[in-house]
Amino acid sequence: MTEIAVLQADEPAPLEGVIKGEVLRMYQEVAEHPEGEFHFYHGRQAAEMFGYEREWLDRAPPGAVASFAGVGNPHLRSRLQLGETVLDLGSGAGLDSIVSAWQVGPAGRVIGVDLNPTMCLRARAHAAASGVHMDCQEGRMEDIRLPDASADVVISNGVINLSFRKRRVIREVFRVLRPGGRISITDIVSAKQLSQSIVNDPKLWAS
Amino acid sequence: MFALLEDAGFKRVRSTVVPGFAFRKDSTRDAAEEYGVKAVLFTAQKPGV
Repeated sequence: MTEIAVLQADEPAPLEGVIKGEVLRMYQEVAEHPEGEFHFYHGRQAAEMFGYEREWLDRAPPGAVASFAGVGNPHLRSRLQLGETVLDLGSGAGLDSIVSAWQVGPAGRVIGVDLNPTMCLRARAHAAASGVHMDCQEGRMEDIRLPDASADVVISNGVINLSFRKRRVIREVFRVLRPGGRISITDIVSAKQLSQSIVNDPKLWAS
Repeated sequence: MFALLEDAGFKRVRSTVVPGFAFRKDSTRDAAEEYGVKAVLFTAQKPGV
């Protein structure tokens, strides 16, 4: 498949700042007003659609579930084990980090990365309300502030497609994984090259 | 994404279309269909064990 990612590769893009702002605004809107209507399904409806266990959704803080804006279920193939270190790239309101924390247990560790500091605060609070701890780093997925070979598993849900530098994101994921480490990532791909009008539309990037 | 993962050095790269993924609004859904937009679950492993 051709992919939105490849179209922009590592090239700097003049629209990047505009797109970044719109993406931040859109996901903050989902977090603050989950009752709103968006281009995508979100919240419990979306999580159930993707096969999240009902027990998880009943047990997680309502705010984390209502703000869920993923495009699939990375937990279906993550095979998390007790004691593992998980990096959640684009952790948002924290639902995937919380589910991961339950699976790796208190001997494990979950680290979120999100561009939006407000979302990091929200994710940490949701994790605490779930009885688990997660670290959340405000930052870019193109420059992950973790040492080499420090994670056992990287998960992500509908976020990498938002980067203008996807090749660099994937290189960073590779770098922070320990040898033998694995990924379970859900994301959006396109079979055809998108028209320039779509590529240039910040609202469609954020949708 | 598949190629990016392989180029980075990942092995055992696998992809599965996420069943049930759809955009909520008709206009977005129509455009997504036109361009073959899908949600995909990717798994892969970093070599070394």
